[in-house]
Amino acid sequence: MEEKEKKKHRAKHSGPKAEKKRKRYLNDLGIGDEENARKRNPKAFTVQSAVRMARTFHRTQDLKTKKHHIPVVDRTPLEPPPVVVVVVGPPKVGKSTVIKCLIKNFTRQKLVEIRGPVTIVSGKKRRLTIIECGCDINTMIDLAKVADLVLMLIDASFGFEMETFEFLNICQVHGFPKIMGVLTHLDTFKNNKQLKKTKKKLKHRFWTEVYPGAKLFYLSGMVHGEYQKQEVHNLGRFISVMKFRPLTWQTSHPYVLADRCVFFSLFFILSIDCTLIKMFGVGDFTVSDVSFLPDPCALPEQQKKRSLNEKEKLEEVRPNHELVQSLISTHSAIDVKMASSKVSLFMDSKPLGSEDVGQEFVMPKEERQVDLKTGRVRRKAVFEDDEKENEASDEEDDQEEEDDEEAVSEDGSEGDDENDAEEESERVLLREGIAVRRAKRLKTEVAQEEAVNELPAFADSDDDLEMSSEEGETAPEDSEMEEDEEEEEEEEGDVQRTCKDESSDSEFEAPNKRAESKKAVLTTDSGNCTAEEASESEDENSSLEEGDDEGGSHEELEAEESNRNGFQHSQAKKADSVRQTKVKTVDTEDDDVENLLREKEEYEEEIDLSVDTTGALKWKEDLTQKAAEAFLRQQRSTPNLRKLVYGTAVEDEDQESEDADDELGGLFRVSRPDTASKQKANALDCSKFLVEKPQDWDLEEVMNSIRDCFVTGKWEDDKDVTLLKIIHLYGDFEDLETGVVHKGKAAAGGEQEEDEETTKPEPEEEKKKKERMDKKRKLKEMFDAEYDEGDATYFDDLKEEMHKQAQLNRAEFEDQDDETRVQYEGFRPGMYVRIEIENVPCEFVMNFDPHYPIILGGLGNSEGNVGYVQLRLKKHRWYKKILKTRDPLILSLGWRRFQTIPMFYIEDHNGRHRLLKYTPQHMHCGAAFWGPITPQGTGFLAVQSVSGTTPDFRIAATGVVLDLDKSITIVKKLKLTGYPFKIFKNTCFIKGMFNSQLEVAKFEGAAIRSVSGIRGQIKKALRAPVGAFRATFEDKLLMSDIVFVRTWYPVSIPTFYNPVTSLLKPAGEKDSWSGMKTTGQLRYERGIKLKQNKDSLYKPIVREKRHFNKLHIPKALQKALPFKNKPKNLEKKGKTPKDQWRPAVIREPHEKKISALLSALSTVNNYKIKKAKVKHREQLKEYLKVKQKEDEQKFKRQKEAKKKVYRILGQREKKRQKSSLKGSSKGEKSV
Amino acid sequence: SRIEINQTGTTLYYQPGLLYGGSLEHDCSPSRGIGYYLESLLCLAPFMKHPLKIVLRGVTNDQVDPSVDVLKATALPLLKKFGIDGESLEIKINRRGMPPKGGGEIVFSCPVRKVLQPVQFTDPGKIKRIRGTAYSVRVSPQMANRMVESARGILNKFLPDIYIYTDHMKGVSSGKSPGFGMCLTAETINGTILSAELASNPQGQGEAVLPEELGQSCAKLLLEEVYRGGCVDSTNQSLALLLMTLGQRDVSKVLLGPLSPYTIEFLRHLRSFFQIMFKIETKTTEEEHTGGEKVLMTCVGIGFHNLSKTIR
Repeated sequence: MEEKEKKKHRAKHSGPKAEKKRKRYLNDLGIGDEENARKRNPKAFTVQSAVRMARTFHRTQDLKTKKHHIPVVDRTPLEPPPVVVVVVGPPKVGKSTVIKCLIKNFTRQKLVEIRGPVTIVSGKKRRLTIIECGCDINTMIDLAKVADLVLMLIDASFGFEMETFEFLNICQVHGFPKIMGVLTHLDTFKNNKQLKKTKKKLKHRFWTEVYPGAKLFYLSGMVHGEYQKQEVHNLGRFISVMKFRPLTWQTSHPYVLADRCVFFSLFFILSIDCTLIKMFGVGDFTVSDVSFLPDPCALPEQQKKRSLNEKEKLEEVRPNHELVQSLISTHSAIDVKMASSKVSLFMDSKPLGSEDVGQEFVMPKEERQVDLKTGRVRRKAVFEDDEKENEASDEEDDQEEEDDEEAVSEDGSEGDDENDAEEESERVLLREGIAVRRAKRLKTEVAQEEAVNELPAFADSDDDLEMSSEEGETAPEDSEMEEDEEEEEEEEGDVQRTCKDESSDSEFEAPNKRAESKKAVLTTDSGNCTAEEASESEDENSSLEEGDDEGGSHEELEAEESNRNGFQHSQAKKADSVRQTKVKTVDTEDDDVENLLREKEEYEEEIDLSVDTTGALKWKEDLTQKAAEAFLRQQRSTPNLRKLVYGTAVEDEDQESEDADDELGGLFRVSRPDTASKQKANALDCSKFLVEKPQDWDLEEVMNSIRDCFVTGKWEDDKDVTLLKIIHLYGDFEDLETGVVHKGKAAAGGEQEEDEETTKPEPEEEKKKKERMDKKRKLKEMFDAEYDEGDATYFDDLKEEMHKQAQLNRAEFEDQDDETRVQYEGFRPGMYVRIEIENVPCEFVMNFDPHYPIILGGLGNSEGNVGYVQLRLKKHRWYKKILKTRDPLILSLGWRRFQTIPMFYIEDHNGRHRLLKYTPQHMHCGAAFWGPITPQGTGFLAVQSVSGTTPDFRIAATGVVLDLDKSITIVKKLKLTGYPFKIFKNTCFIKGMFNSQLEVAKFEGAAIRSVSGIRGQIKKALRAPVGAFRATFEDKLLMSDIVFVRTWYPVSIPTFYNPVTSLLKPAGEKDSWSGMKTTGQLRYERGIKLKQNKDSLYKPIVREKRHFNKLHIPKALQKALPFKNKPKNLEKKGKTPKDQWRPAVIREPHEKKISALLSALSTVNNYKIKKAKVKHREQLKEYLKVKQKEDEQKFKRQKEAKKKVYRILGQREKKRQKSSLKGSSKGEKSV
Repeated sequence: SRIEINQTGTTLYYQPGLLYGGSLEHDCSPSRGIGYYLESLLCLAPFMKHPLKIVLRGVTNDQVDPSVDVLKATALPLLKKFGIDGESLEIKINRRGMPPKGGGEIVFSCPVRKVLQPVQFTDPGKIKRIRGTAYSVRVSPQMANRMVESARGILNKFLPDIYIYTDHMKGVSSGKSPGFGMCLTAETINGTILSAELASNPQGQGEAVLPEELGQSCAKLLLEEVYRGGCVDSTNQSLALLLMTLGQRDVSKVLLGPLSPYTIEFLRHLRSFFQIMFKIETKTTEEEHTGGEKVLMTCVGIGFHNLSKTIR
């Protein structure tokens, strides 16, 4: 039974196994596989046709080269900027969900609300900035310009939507970043087959748009409102390993993605070193100040860690785009307790830390800075509940740290409960996120932070520490006090601060703050943190005191600094999830704080970079350190040329510059920066470098000083190629001229020498060895270069060159510190910088909406100008209308979006630019407009309006910049008409075309034409009437002719340039920017009818009946005509007059009878005749038949007879011929 | 372009527009040499809309400005290093004109480039030959030969490969004033060209100079220049730095001799115009016999594009 049930073995018929088997089988047979076919049967693979061979070769080569891209220098620095991932798609397609899932995937944290860009660290060398792109065409355009990777979300249940195609087209114009499709809503398909079909269909359509084989992701079904984990994971993997080719526009034009804006300062991710900036959606500004800051979202590499464990990743999750974005950390135990309520709380981005406040604006509303550090906020919250406890615990701290910790944790839990209750009431408030409040809170934070930061600069170590501890203890409540202190401090020491009125600002806020702080929603975490901090600071305090009695020594200062750093760091970290996780386990880790401290100290160096959360504030806090560094550097560096040239720090260090002069001696004396340059201003402007003290070149030593500059001089060993070769070939030799002995590496007596050498000290040997190696290497390089020369293609060479350049770029300034680097090479991509911009319209700040990205684009030197630009333009094939000349159009060109009035033209074959009224339907045409100068070859796209939504495709036209020429002349045709008033033979006088003799003179010799097509020429003006002239034609004109001359009239391009300032619109209306309206729109709105020229109206064509006159033939001619052609002028008979009418005949009865009889008889007779006729015809037919037969027979007979006769005749002929032949032959013989 | 003069007439504001180029002619003032004009043209010419072809008339060789001969011998090879080359890059001396009256004529033509290449030009190499021109106009043709003799006498101690052309212009092509002079160039195996020149005192100014003396001192000047060394000779330092600045956003390096005051001033201008700073390192040569201190200049180009050039 069982055996029967067993499955029978089935041999594989396909798959690798079967294949293997088959191969083996064939091999056994000796037939082998296809691979060997060439071997088996070489003749079948020989060249059959050289031509075809050449062609195939050509083709493969073509295909190969087609794959090449022009190599470009990769200018991304070692530490690359974050990859900008833009998530686009129509509404409701799941963009935010994807972002959330991705964030969760990378960070294990949940982000509930997305309000702007989020930056996460996805790997050791990669950061991602994820931005969601709405359907507002402004946003789409802006983001397409800066995107590195586009995630294109497509609702599979619906199919492609216009947004998708629009975005693709925008991308195409602005440099085509990497594009990845993501299909969502796949779970709506119930039918599997349908699903498959749809997938395939969408995939292929996507491929035609992007490129065949473009990656399309499928996100099937949702689980608990999220996509499936594995799928998201895969997507994340794809993103984090993706490679990017630098986009030309982006590499040549720096841009910056703002992550927050503090009044007037903006913080960015990318960097810039040009002075002119275009803020997308706002306008052009000049940068008043740029400084770089430590990156709040630094790469983990910097921390010298091997890999990112989960914890670190968490830490890295710094939603550093505070403006915009808040992070939620649900990780700590405490959080879990109150998870539900908390989450909502955190969601509301807690506004936090930022910086100097703009000067002019006092309106709190404008401070949009929102820092994400949730921790910060939490900490604040603690105060209300836990203050007393804190204070108490602080006192206890000194002795009982453990207790403290516990207490804290308790506090935390308590706080939680309380908070919960509180939150209920608060949440509403929070949710609403009143801007004012936010701003204030922000302020307090700032104040606090600053107090901390500035401390070391001003106070002794003791003070410092006290302050910090104090702060830790009482921060929020005493914030007022602190602020006062801070104020004092500020006044005391004004370090190079950009913004000094901060203190005043904080003052302004102070009263409010109290109230605020009470209200502030606080979380227990923060409670913990403060406590911890306090303990930390205490710790430091004690240790410090032990170590150094008094402050003041330099060492101490440094130590302090480190401590401070540590302190800040820990403070900063409060917010971090790591911290939170730590808090979770607080009970177990008693010495957590100490550990942390130690760690901090270890990382002292890196801290200033890696301290993250304080973000914006960081730049200030390092000031002292930086100053110290700078000083040291200056001390260290020998008097250098740099100082001489650029005069840095000349003011305070006259001494040094003097030193420099002395040291440099006669060579550089001339160029003292201050005095010398002033003198120089009036000196002769000459580039020659005159020799002031010529050396005496007759002296031997002086001559010797340059002896080696000549080929006749001594060569460095490794460079002397000929020598190397000689040595290589012949071993040792002695230069008889100079007496130098050159030694080969393996000479005859080498062994002996080596023996000797072994006794010599080692370093010598080493040196020699090294030399030998060098020589060897040199030789090998030479050989390689010669040998490989033929192999390398131009493409390879180019690539190699670019690669070398890229390496050099990276290596050149690597060893310098950031500050000097920035001076030399500007701000590197990937730096975190702070940019101050002045004169930004206040609406920008007031109407700020974090959902709209702020992007700053850098402009080249002359790109700030406005001028005439020529484009090659084509109406988009999907746009339904054609575009009209002189209608305003919104262009997205370079970084800019602006409205302008283009004039369309087409280039005639003679190079004339002829104005077009409308764009051609399916053809390129030229367009010229007044607008910003943008480099040639830059792509652009045009839309007619950026406001509202239309079901139709929105992109009206695309094209490229051709030229920036002010002298472009676009002309339109103008026909002048005139009328002949006197006609001679071929000459005639024409009037009405011109108004004066002068005008005529200008057109002398011009070609004119009549409407009927007779060509002519303008000859000369006539005296009267005015403007009349003499013209000659190729034929005689008629008086009824109209004459015209074709002229070309230059059109001026309207100088209208209106940047699209969509970001200045109030929130919620940002997509409603409308600039200048077209005349059509205006007419429509106001109901103004176009006044039409009556003549150009179309009327029904009425054809009049033509009347022709009678043909008149002269009498003489008539007479001469033959009768046939003579007009028969028989007049129609008119009505016969009555008197000429003939009377009707009326018959008598008798006569009637007679006529009836007669007609009867004639009928009979007719019948008879008819019958006879028929009969006769038949007889005739019969007769003809008979006759034909007879004829045939007769013919036959005759034929036969003829045959006989001819035969006889023929025989006779033959005989005669025969006989005659014989006779002749005989005759011949006889002859 | 835009020119504004304020109400009081004390300031002039000039905002240049696009550079047009094309065929031009210009009569230079005889108070400065053509070289003075040519230097600035060399900076601008590669960035025109149309290739420049300009005829300049005036003083070709004088004692103040770099002469046309020197620029022809040094600046053009330098431009080539930055990717500005082609048949049309040339300076042709049709007539020589000496101060004070001038009367010389040159033709300068230069192709147009969209972008410049970055250069790494740190090894000057050893000098393989010395060339030069000894010219004389409206004086005895013997003058040139005498200069050559004396110069060779000095230079032969270093290098055998010396050839100095004598260029005696006659008739129309000799300009309006008499004079003579000499310029020498030293070319290294790596294509670096160093130059020195000297011209006689203009007619009626200063005392007469013996051609032998002039030849000798010119040769010594060349030796001085060799002592200074570098990959670019002292006259063209600023040109090289400018072209580096206007390059792609890549690192360019060049080794110079001691910076001339003019160059230092120029560097300051570069900073104020382009916000660019050079990394300046002083290199002292380990070997003794290769002249004085060198300066290694490094910078990252500003990514300049020629906006005037039309594309089709």
